[in-house]
Amino acid sequence: MSDFAIDILLILVKLGLIFAVLLTGAAYLVLAERRVLGRIQRRYGPNRVGPFGMMQPLADAVKLLTKEDFIPAQADKPIFFVAPGLAAVTALLAFAVVPFSPPITLFGREVPMVVCDLNIGVLYFLGLSSLAVYGIALGGWASNSKYALLGGIRGLAQLISYELAMGLSLVPVVLMAGSFSLTDIVLAQNPVPFALLNPVAFLVFLISTAAESKRIPFDIPEAENELVAGFHTEYSGMRFGLFFVGEYINMMILGSMITVFFLGGWIGPVLPPIVWFFAKVMAVAFVFIWMRGTLPRLRYDQLMHFGWKFLIPVSLINVIVTGALLLWLKG
Amino acid sequence: MAEGIDVYKRRYGQNPKSLWRDLKGTVEPFYVTLRNMFKKPVTYQYPEEKRTPYPRYRARIVLTRDPEGGERCVACYLCSAACPVDCISMQSSEDENGRRYAAWFRINFSRCIYCGLCAEACPTLAIQMTPFYEFSGRDPLKMVYEKEDLLIADGGKDNEYNFYKHAGIGVANPRGGNEDEYGPVDVRSNLP
Amino acid sequence: MPILTIDNQQIEVLKGTNVLEAAKGLGIVIPHFCYHEALGAVGACRLCAMNFVEGPVKGIQMACMIEAKDEMVITTTDQASQEMRARVIEWLMMYHPHDCPVCDEGGECQLQDMTIAGGHDIRRYGGKKRTYSNQDLGPFICHEMNRCIQCYRCVRTYQDYCGGTDFGVLGTNQRVYFGRFRDGRLESPFSGNIVDACPTGVFTDRTFRYRTRYWDIEEAPSVCPHCSLGCAVIPGGRFRELQRVRGGVNKQTNGFFICDRARFGGGYGNHPERPRVPRVDGAQTTWPEALRALRKRITDLVARHGPGAVAFLGSPRASLEANYLLDSWAASLGSRRIAFDSHWQHDRSARVAAGKLGPRAASLEDIRCSDFILMIGVDPLNEAPMLALAVRQAVRRGVRLAVIDPRPVTLPCAAAHLPLAPEALPDVLEALAGGDIRRLGRREAVLLEGILEQLRAAERPVLIGGPDLLGAAGIERLLDTARLLASEHRPCKVMTVLAGPNSFGCGVLARQGPDFEAILNGMLAGEIKALVCLESDPMTGSSDPARTGMALGKLELLAALDYLPTAAAHHAHLFLPTTAVPESAGVYVNNEGRMLLFSSAMDPGTPISVSGGGDHPPRTFLPATPGSEPRPAWATLGHLQGRRLSLRDIRQAIEMEHPNFAGLSSLTTGGEGKRIADISPPPETAPEIPFPHSEGEGTLRLYAMEDFAGSGELAGYASALAPLRPTPFVMLGALDAKQRSLSDGQQVRLRSELGGVGVALRVVPDLPAGIALVPRLRGTALESYVPGRGHYDCQILSEDEEKT
Ligand code: SF4
Ligand code: SF4
Ligand code: SF4
Ligand code: SF4
Ligand code: FES
Repeated sequence: MSDFAIDILLILVKLGLIFAVLLTGAAYLVLAERRVLGRIQRRYGPNRVGPFGMMQPLADAVKLLTKEDFIPAQADKPIFFVAPGLAAVTALLAFAVVPFSPPITLFGREVPMVVCDLNIGVLYFLGLSSLAVYGIALGGWASNSKYALLGGIRGLAQLISYELAMGLSLVPVVLMAGSFSLTDIVLAQNPVPFALLNPVAFLVFLISTAAESKRIPFDIPEAENELVAGFHTEYSGMRFGLFFVGEYINMMILGSMITVFFLGGWIGPVLPPIVWFFAKVMAVAFVFIWMRGTLPRLRYDQLMHFGWKFLIPVSLINVIVTGALLLWLKG
Repeated sequence: MAEGIDVYKRRYGQNPKSLWRDLKGTVEPFYVTLRNMFKKPVTYQYPEEKRTPYPRYRARIVLTRDPEGGERCVACYLCSAACPVDCISMQSSEDENGRRYAAWFRINFSRCIYCGLCAEACPTLAIQMTPFYEFSGRDPLKMVYEKEDLLIADGGKDNEYNFYKHAGIGVANPRGGNEDEYGPVDVRSNLP
Repeated sequence: MPILTIDNQQIEVLKGTNVLEAAKGLGIVIPHFCYHEALGAVGACRLCAMNFVEGPVKGIQMACMIEAKDEMVITTTDQASQEMRARVIEWLMMYHPHDCPVCDEGGECQLQDMTIAGGHDIRRYGGKKRTYSNQDLGPFICHEMNRCIQCYRCVRTYQDYCGGTDFGVLGTNQRVYFGRFRDGRLESPFSGNIVDACPTGVFTDRTFRYRTRYWDIEEAPSVCPHCSLGCAVIPGGRFRELQRVRGGVNKQTNGFFICDRARFGGGYGNHPERPRVPRVDGAQTTWPEALRALRKRITDLVARHGPGAVAFLGSPRASLEANYLLDSWAASLGSRRIAFDSHWQHDRSARVAAGKLGPRAASLEDIRCSDFILMIGVDPLNEAPMLALAVRQAVRRGVRLAVIDPRPVTLPCAAAHLPLAPEALPDVLEALAGGDIRRLGRREAVLLEGILEQLRAAERPVLIGGPDLLGAAGIERLLDTARLLASEHRPCKVMTVLAGPNSFGCGVLARQGPDFEAILNGMLAGEIKALVCLESDPMTGSSDPARTGMALGKLELLAALDYLPTAAAHHAHLFLPTTAVPESAGVYVNNEGRMLLFSSAMDPGTPISVSGGGDHPPRTFLPATPGSEPRPAWATLGHLQGRRLSLRDIRQAIEMEHPNFAGLSSLTTGGEGKRIADISPPPETAPEIPFPHSEGEGTLRLYAMEDFAGSGELAGYASALAPLRPTPFVMLGALDAKQRSLSDGQQVRLRSELGGVGVALRVVPDLPAGIALVPRLRGTALESYVPGRGHYDCQILSEDEEKT
């Protein structure tokens, strides 16, 4: 077998693995979220299907698959069909550049534990996360419903605003690592993760990822009490399921990104790197869930103010300060 | 406006826009929720653990009887008028003693929302809510209860009251024979 | 016109208005019981207190007793008057038995409303209550005296307004009692009005006893179909059953009250044998099948024998819309063979009235306001009951009333009665119109002279006539008389009682068309092969049942649209069920040419009491309501012509085709209705009616007359009216009875061309000699004696004579 074919095969295997892990991960993240929220509210959460409710995701999937696929009469059909897929796929694609472990040696070959170690991984990630907005905007538009349209528009505005802060908070990371490649960034965090070196950038990134993934307190595009369910009001069955799963995949991706950019990726003592990586991702996910159980939803204007008037200036200053410091250090 | 700020200051200290207050307000809840996570949930695990409702709990409806064992319901239609979901229907009728009663009386429990307005409206204490809440079914028709299904043997929450002993139309007692009545007047008398 | 201020608002009212009414005009409704628009004020209940601040009277006064005057300043919201009202209602409630849950008035009870409105919400009196014994007031009215608040409305209604004498107020002191001297049915034919008038539950409708609450009953303003006056009624149904009828308000016709025939005779639509399913050749079928069959058969017949082979019979009890569509169907087929009443005289009379009455028509209100009334050949209580009540209101004001009629016309008021034989009536009309008065007997001539004098002296005289004895010719003569008597400054109005609620409308539609006699001849000659009957039964109006039966037997197709189980409906080859009046909407044109809208109160269907057999309703779900097949006749007739029409479309079409119905499509239900415009080309004059004189010894001329509850086609199917129907009897003058040595109350044998029947004899002292009278009683042997047909030769024999 030629090297090229083996490379392709390896990539396919990795893709399959990531796919399986991410989807199950997302499904169980849903369960985890419901249980944790339950405990926060002094309930049990779903605990009836299977031991500890472990079969709940399966039951949900079956339910979603067997539900009626409802299409509003005046919907823009092609777009209506594509939008949920778009949301899920863009989320999945971002994982292509995430390194979750140092390269391992298999049958004498060095296998990098990343689907594709792009040297401009950061830009790829930023680009994809901007694409994610299409799922929302198109879904909202195609449903031909007031709620969905409003949700879509809000989503657009919110994502565009927080994109900036997110991008800016990554500049110090790139400056410090001196590379756009995610593997290099991880390696640059040995032994001190950037979260400690540059806590401001970390916090800004954490907040803007929460906003990017439309999680409470930033779930304005789907604010139930005013927009019913926002951009996916008109979706049902598995199409709704795709939006839903997309959101949780997104949460995992963003968790991985935070791990990669700020928490030192797979780096950690004693345990194997891959375990460290997953532990860190899960910790971030927990923080997200905890945040959801704690904070109330922002008002639309508060959200915009916070993004434009606070996060962006702070991250700009942070970029300048970090840059200056680095220049000064290098002397 | 100025007054509003005063109130604000009184409540939140001298500087209403204190950053410290905001930060505290943002972070403290995280502690609260975290603490909650380690407390025992208050949920009853229903089919295994059952709770005993209070006697005034509003669940399955019954029709009760007066102390003499007669049907209390006089088919006055007040419950059906009060019912917000229109699930009570009946037909009033008169028996040979002049007593008004329900020839048939039907509650569609698959519609009932157990609001208790019917029991509230009933002037004879006939219709009453019971705490029996384990009451459901898949066939809506099986949830349609007729008078025979609704009638119970006693007076439910009240075993004293008998409407006809208070309404002065001579059904339970002869005319003018209730406790708070004089006997019928003699119309032909011309005494002052 | 006085201007006064009530609660800081000014209002100008007509002179003579009382302050309570004036306040009502401003939208200020003060609790009151004893005042009633039709009964006036007596100040008995003491509830309508207002505070008179400025003006001729001052202080707390009963507003209903005080006439509105200029400069009055009145408050209703001040503490003193409010407290007064709250106290009064508390006193009134002191002895109340607190039995609203078992009282049929509950929910529509003025006492309930006024108690709350008056501000009495907590009972303070803890002592013992006064009670009364009740009376059995018969099959129509329930009595529960303990609920009485002594407002006297019932007596004022029963005695003063309706002229009843067997009910009143008795007792003294705290024992004032409203009832009869002893138990028994209330005798007035207007007794039911005390149910409407009594603001509490003392008098309730026994036929409606414990059936439905006000909030559950489906009601709509409608028009009474029991006679030609078009009184406003409000039928109410529940569970697909007509449960009661109460009086509506139309100040031009009935005013506020109705007669017992209307109130208790609404049950014809609930008749157990009412046919509710379409039938073809005796077998029940579906609507599409039946419609297809009817259309096909008629097309076949027209193709084979020409359009003239199909004849149509409309009906004075069908709505104007349905009759019109029947007419237009006939026209579209090319058949001119359509009549609207199978009764020849009634048909002709309606056409005369429709053609000639015009602005001379008197409404019941005109009669109430008239100052001299001459009734000739009309028996109001039996033919048009509310007319009797209208006449009474005039007489109560001191108006003179003269009655010329062979029948013992009973009226709830005083009248000068001149019993003349039917044959003499044309002469009387002649004499009234200025003819030779000497053709009558001397006594009669003198009396007539007196009547004529008063008639000439009166300012607003009204002549009233009926079709049964006068016939079309007589009615025409009456109209001529009125024309002669009227001058420019002095109208002389006429009321002609007609046969059915829509007779007038049918008269307009009929124009010069053939009458049913012509159609019968065609049927007998075999030219007519099909007859379509719209809510009519040719037999009921037939003067010769045998002949009509033979003619019907020759038909190839008898199609009937009806809601009554009539003989025609029973024998029809093709039957299509229609909705009864309370279930349908439409227009009736009453006997003065007033277009009156009725609307549907309920949907047709087999009553739940029937489908549930008296027990709880069936526990099954069906896609359609059982028994809901009947459709409005107009809808079916439109369908048969392949036209999808709404009532509005039909009314507009009627307006276009018959300009005298102008304004039809803008009528509203519950209003006073609108007189139709004067018809331009008067129809041809009806032929003179022959009044054949009797020949031969021992034979009597027998005339049939209407009966209050027994004669009407609809009333005959209303089971609740049964107690009002007399057992068959025949009336004979005292002299004739003596000649035959018969006495009052005796069972006799009545023999005529219609066969022999056993009936009771009633001797009427002033019945003209040689005349006998029988009421037409549906469901008895007297059913086929048709009033207005002329006389039957008859013999009256005692039972023993019969045997020998
Ligand atoms: S509980 Fe409420 S909903 Fe149920 S029957 Fe009574 S009034 Fe109706
Ligand atoms: S309110 Fe009470 S008395 Fe009246 S109908 Fe209902 S149950 Fe019977
Ligand atoms: S019976 Fe009725 S109408 Fe007559 S006085 Fe009493 S409350 Fe009034
Ligand atoms: S007078 Fe005639 S129309 Fe009027 S209520 Fe009586 S029956 Fe009906
Ligand atoms: S209404 Fe005026 S006293 Fe009765």
